[in-house]
Amino acid sequence: MVSMDKLDYVSIRAVLSGDKNAYGALVARHSHRLFRVAYRITGNEADAEEVVQEAFFRGYRKLEVFASRANFGTWIYRIAVRCALDKIANRKLDESSQIANEDDPERHAVQVADTAAGPERILLSGEIGALQQMAMQGLTPTERIAFVLRHFEDQGTDEIARALGIAPNSAKQAVYRAVQKLRQRLAVLRVKA
Amino acid sequence: MRHLSEQELVEYYYSNDRDRGSIAQHVRDCAQCGASYSAIHADLSDLGKFDVPLREPEYGRRVWDSLADSLPARPTPRTFWLRPDLWRVLAYASVAATLLAATFYAGRMWEHAKAPVASTKTPASAPTPKSVVVVVLSDHLDRTERLLVELKHTGADDSDMLSPLRDEARNLLPANRICQREAKKSDDPDLENALAALDRLLTRLAEQPGGLNPAEVTRLQKQMDADGLLFEVRVLRSRMPATEQVTKTPSGGGKI
Repeated sequence: MVSMDKLDYVSIRAVLSGDKNAYGALVARHSHRLFRVAYRITGNEADAEEVVQEAFFRGYRKLEVFASRANFGTWIYRIAVRCALDKIANRKLDESSQIANEDDPERHAVQVADTAAGPERILLSGEIGALQQMAMQGLTPTERIAFVLRHFEDQGTDEIARALGIAPNSAKQAVYRAVQKLRQRLAVLRVKA
Repeated sequence: MRHLSEQELVEYYYSNDRDRGSIAQHVRDCAQCGASYSAIHADLSDLGKFDVPLREPEYGRRVWDSLADSLPARPTPRTFWLRPDLWRVLAYASVAATLLAATFYAGRMWEHAKAPVASTKTPASAPTPKSVVVVVLSDHLDRTERLLVELKHTGADDSDMLSPLRDEARNLLPANRICQREAKKSDDPDLENALAALDRLLTRLAEQPGGLNPAEVTRLQKQMDADGLLFEVRVLRSRMPATEQVTKTPSGGGKI
């Protein structure tokens, strides 16, 4: 049986030789994994699909750079993480901008509550996933990605550091800060429930 | 052992089995740390229920379909001779070769420019052909002057002097004709006229098969006086340093 690495290698050689359509095979093989991590980071299907497309687009343009690397799956995964980081960082900027432009403090409070969804409403609906997502919205983009990669994707500290472009110790600290914040937030929600 | 911090317990939760040794023992033995770890474990386990919506099996194809049109076509790989880096290397190599050749040429030109200076500063070195001509002409004029002086002062009684005068004239005649030829090339009419008059006199002196007789000597003396030959030769001798600048190189002039 031919390994995925071998199939990826053949596809990459074909793309670099001028066969653009060979990239379609790489997209088909790695899209599901990229969507999974993108969704866990963004918490939104539409954003996750955009992240997947952006990651493959960037990967296509930088494919010559990859040519000497070992594993296309790991490489495109890191690109997707960076794209997701950009996506949630921009989203936070947009939200901050909307709030800053709002003069009425009462309306401001309502807007924030709408964005994060009220705990009572979430608990009443019984959607535990939505509750977790709300808790994760309190994390910084770096903390959120570090936690997702560590907790859900089972990535080691070194890989988290490489994906985020930070030092391993910073990656470890980011995971810990994320766990702290999530536990505090979820504890409050449990008490209210 | 001290109690474990929350960060240590979180790291313990995510660590691999082989790293759990002493901490695992402490968590089992220490009630406080065990309780803390149980709480962390429960919270993080709850977070593990974060489900991801499933994508259909054709999701990858759908992503490609929406992406394909936006991707630019990749250029086909260039052949060896069309590679831009190859041409860049060749360009650098040609510039380096040109610089090397220019440096070599400049060095050769500099050596040539220095050579004449060196020769004028070292008069003891081998004389150039031009200086040979000057020496030959100077010597010829010197000998010619002596011949003319002897001819001028030869009387009718000095018959023993007549044959040596004829022989000397015969010796001087070939050198005089070479000097005439060079005088024509150097465009020096004074020298040319004087050597022509001298040629006529030497020819008449040399063409006396039976030797000179007193009547012929008198006639030659008159011819010499009429042409002012002795004066002309002395003037030419005094000009010799200036003549050096215009006299050309004769081939084989050094053998005269």
